[in-house]
Amino acid sequence: MGTYALRRVIQMIPLLLVISLLIFALTALQPGDPVDQLVFGNSNITPDDIARLKAAYGLDQPWFTRYFFWLKQAITGNFGYSQDFGIPALEFVFQSRLPNTLLLTVPALIISTLIAVPLGIFSAVRQYSPLDYILTFFAFLAVSAPVFWVGALALYFFAVYLPGATGGALSLPPGGLGSPDLPADASAWAVFADKLKYLLLPMMILMLREIAVTLRFMRANMLETLTQDYVRTARAKGLADRRVLYKHALRNAVTPIVTLLGLSIPGLFGGAVITETVFSWPGMGKAILDALVSKDFNVVMVCLMMLAVLTVVFQLLTDLAYAIVDPRIRYA
Amino acid sequence: MKKTLALTAFLLGAALAGPANNSLVVGTSQEPPNIYDPWNTNNLAITSEINGYMGAGLTYQDDDGTTKADIATRVPTLGNGDYKVVKDSKGDVIRNSVTYTIRKDAKWSDGTPIKVADFQFWLKLENDDRVPVPDRDPWDRAKITVNDADTFTITFEPPYLFADQVSPGLAPSHIMSAAWNAFDAKTKNEKDAKVTNEEWKKFISSFTTARSLPKVVAGPFKPTAWRTGNSLTMTRNAAYWNQPKNPENYVQTVTYRFIPNTNTLKVNILSGQLDAVSAVGLTFDQGTDLARNERNKYKTYFVPGAVWEHIDINARGQRAKDLDLDDPRMRQALLYAIDRDALTKALFQGKQAVSNSWIGPVSKLYKKDVTDYNLNVAKAKQLFAALGWTPGSDGILQKGGKKLTLNFSTTAGNSTRERVQQILQAQWKAVGVQVNIQNYPASVIFGPDFLSKGESGKWDMAMYAWSNNPVFEEGNLWKSEGIPTAANGYSGQNNPGWNNAEYDKLYKQAKVEFNQADRIKLFDRMQAVWNSEVPSLPLYFRVNVYTKVPGLVNYTFSAITQYPSWNAANIGWASKGAVEEYKQK
Repeated sequence: MGTYALRRVIQMIPLLLVISLLIFALTALQPGDPVDQLVFGNSNITPDDIARLKAAYGLDQPWFTRYFFWLKQAITGNFGYSQDFGIPALEFVFQSRLPNTLLLTVPALIISTLIAVPLGIFSAVRQYSPLDYILTFFAFLAVSAPVFWVGALALYFFAVYLPGATGGALSLPPGGLGSPDLPADASAWAVFADKLKYLLLPMMILMLREIAVTLRFMRANMLETLTQDYVRTARAKGLADRRVLYKHALRNAVTPIVTLLGLSIPGLFGGAVITETVFSWPGMGKAILDALVSKDFNVVMVCLMMLAVLTVVFQLLTDLAYAIVDPRIRYA
Repeated sequence: MKKTLALTAFLLGAALAGPANNSLVVGTSQEPPNIYDPWNTNNLAITSEINGYMGAGLTYQDDDGTTKADIATRVPTLGNGDYKVVKDSKGDVIRNSVTYTIRKDAKWSDGTPIKVADFQFWLKLENDDRVPVPDRDPWDRAKITVNDADTFTITFEPPYLFADQVSPGLAPSHIMSAAWNAFDAKTKNEKDAKVTNEEWKKFISSFTTARSLPKVVAGPFKPTAWRTGNSLTMTRNAAYWNQPKNPENYVQTVTYRFIPNTNTLKVNILSGQLDAVSAVGLTFDQGTDLARNERNKYKTYFVPGAVWEHIDINARGQRAKDLDLDDPRMRQALLYAIDRDALTKALFQGKQAVSNSWIGPVSKLYKKDVTDYNLNVAKAKQLFAALGWTPGSDGILQKGGKKLTLNFSTTAGNSTRERVQQILQAQWKAVGVQVNIQNYPASVIFGPDFLSKGESGKWDMAMYAWSNNPVFEEGNLWKSEGIPTAANGYSGQNNPGWNNAEYDKLYKQAKVEFNQADRIKLFDRMQAVWNSEVPSLPLYFRVNVYTKVPGLVNYTFSAITQYPSWNAANIGWASKGAVEEYKQK
């Protein structure tokens, strides 16, 4: 197992290099660059100005030259400055955006898993019961409804309609990260309570979909497990239903959830672009999208490389976890 | 007790904004990359708007275009001798200069007096090759001469037409000099521009970003908190000299909330979370929607702006010749064939005025009596026929076996423009012109290989907008030197490739005509020439949409001032005793 893990780690290095080259090339080969955005609409700009700006931003050189410059700097831990925010790209991502994203996505994933797994089991065990139909209907609805639409409805309901109907007694903030008028010397509890108020709506919308997906997945796994020979044998031996379910079937049914969760984790860091956009929640998803649109190369590279590293690392961890939960799997 | 009440209020969801605590909460859809960068190395509108709260200039213009003094003791004019124009023996102006005296009470927010050195420091960096200033016009030909401790003269050679109306920047030399000297020492012999640029970013970010807020400012408000992705708060600067009478009656705190999604911004307005919206925020459609739901909670304003929407006609290359796009009659015919009045009524409730010139009605140079090109299908058909285009069996005009089929491009995803395209496509079809819509992302349209490469026939018609400050109109959009070619590195904005000798001559004369009345005459003729050949089909001037709650005074702007922050010191609540000086026009 140790040798296998080491081999996989060594294999990651060339893989990540190729990924970085591809990301850089694809970003650099998009039409337009940051200088075009400064130039366009300015009728006073001269060819000399354009040449000067292109040189200053290093855009007068071929993309692969720029890539090697970036790589050389990145190896030393210098990922450059964000063009759009004027601060080091690493600082922008890890201090300004990633904490916001994790605050939104991690609790959403944990809570939705805790809700969805039991519901999925229940739905499978009580297949074709009225509750199973209700849960299945909810799951399809939640998966099918576009996030931007559900988000907009929720915003209007909780921020406009509800306060109007209750004379302002009940309301949730219409997007954002926190109250701008929060006193600077507010207590930690007040800051947390304020943040929570702003977090509720986007988290609820994110959880709706997560619950629906995990619920369907869990239900399908459980149904498949319940038809296995060993479950039938356990029942034939006269074991109590509860014992058959929780002792024999559940462990095998939950195994694929490990894969699902393992592969979800890099996604947590990538943020939820539509949810973040609708609720003006400044997270990673929105940051990646904006950086790609405005050609903020350094931010694009930091974000996407971080996701690439997380993806390969968690793929490895998932594979290793499989060996732990499934005795049939052995790595050499 | 007060603090407990405040906490209770916001934990219950109530915004503590507006007159209650004499503050102002403004919503905007953009967040600036940095603030109070004296060299304005990003040219975003939101940056200019927010900087307006913190900045001060020697002079400024109000909503009506009147120049007023701020840091300077008075506005330089020919009459008071502070504005001088020097001519040679032939009577040509060879240079001009403006003299300013700094007010004795003009101070930075830390109490340090504003000095001539602050203007000199700014000018030195503005013209330094290591500073990525987008363009240096007119400062690359400006020189500062110190007359005494508070008085200095800026000389422009060659002369600058708007020398008496433009104010140079200033930077706090007592704060920035040491860091600049360190940057200078580090990069003096650096060959690699990218390394220099990284050092520049380090230098400027230590004075202009969320983690390093500007140390001092000169204007009415100073930044106190910037939570990236969320909000920026500025508080009243007690050291600012140009305060209204009883400054305590005016807004004490301004908070910008960054809400990138404009629908979410709309919900914030409807839910009463915002006192006002920035000039950079709402779309026209959202404005009309909000106007229907005001219920006395807020009022929606549609401010005539300086953004001119038009359709460039590509008159360059073989394809343009084959389609007669290089012939003014073809362009006139295309314009007569569309009903712009009906278009603006249908889409913009008539709030966006149809234009027949690239200069807006707000400008002193605007010429009203040019051909208006109202819908005239008979005239359009007559012009097509004169050019030899006759309807084929399918109703499409043809000439020499070629059909009159035009590609029409605009920025993909802009729903307003896409609707305009569909209406115009149908109207042109009615006169036998087949129009194919081919849209591209903005990065392609405004990128290096599209508009400026008209010669290769990549586009026939392109719809987009120009934003011109009416005060500084030079007419340079249409000079033939501005036709982008390989020889000039594809710079210049004359994308249609219009080349008119009379216009060029008039433009050159107007560029050095310092007498306003004579300039107006020259621009009258320039607009007449332009209008007779319509190198670009003028559509309309866009309006800027914003909302504000009743009782908020002096929060106004025009096509000249562009942002409500021009009058930051006087923004306030009537209920708190703020006196209304300017009404929104």
